[in-house]
Amino acid sequence: MSSFSKATQQWATFARVWYLLDGKMQPPGKLAAVASVKLQGLHKPMYHQLSDCGDHVVIMNTRHIAFSGNKWEQKVYSSHTGYPGGFRQVTAAQLHRKDPVADIPEDILKNLVEELPQPRKVPRRLDEYTQEEIDAFPRVWSPPENYRL
Amino acid sequence: MVFLTAQLWLRNRVTDRYWRIQEVLKHARHFRGRKNRCYRLAVRAVTRAFVNCTKARKLKKRNLRTLWINRITAASQEHGLKYSTFITNLIKCQVELNRKVLSDLAIYEPKTFKSLAALSKRRHEEGLAAALGDEKEPEGIFSRIVHYH
Repeated sequence: MSSFSKATQQWATFARVWYLLDGKMQPPGKLAAVASVKLQGLHKPMYHQLSDCGDHVVIMNTRHIAFSGNKWEQKVYSSHTGYPGGFRQVTAAQLHRKDPVADIPEDILKNLVEELPQPRKVPRRLDEYTQEEIDAFPRVWSPPENYRL
Repeated sequence: MVFLTAQLWLRNRVTDRYWRIQEVLKHARHFRGRKNRCYRLAVRAVTRAFVNCTKARKLKKRNLRTLWINRITAASQEHGLKYSTFITNLIKCQVELNRKVLSDLAIYEPKTFKSLAALSKRRHEEGLAAALGDEKEPEGIFSRIVHYH
């Protein structure tokens, strides 16, 4: 059915594309999931493990990533140096503090093609809503005057 | 015993040892190291190679199916559909294309795949409308099943 000689040559098939992903207020696991799909090339119909078909992903604002729950204190990254007594356990908060956040070089910034949609919808703060939207929101109940909270 | 010449006294001697060895070595010529030259090592390597070849016939079927599914997932995500939705709705429209053909279409006939994705999406919406809406509304256009008698 599909003959390799009859299909017209698409010369840019294996070109690598540079994507941008904003990590502000995003869970790092979901960022990683989105990035890994693009990096492996699983978003392309002509994916194969052996053909080098992945793309580049630049993640910015990694300083403002947001773990949910108590993971900043509870999540532990363990590693072993190989030497005796070399078992290192670092909490996510410590790792984040010591992680260097570099500026993205200019030539990469100029090469970026597309921005990927963020995996988590960031809710707006109260002061980002307009007064009309606040007034239009339905009130469940209003407390009486002598009500003490 | 009557042996009129000395030559007739000799019995059961191997005369084609060279060809017996070559039969094995010819399958090992593309191996790495001494196993492509030395018969002892080559026998073991060639036996393992043949055993792996027979075992891999079952794995090939599994691996190719996984590859087709990954490719179809990638292509249907490009059209905003999930793989599971795409396949189930295609089956419900009586389009009995297998995953091999679908992945080939996704690579070489993108417009055909786009129309298949649109068909699947429409059938999905009709299915949701039939499930969530009232029973009184008639079936959708693509939900009607053709009976081949």
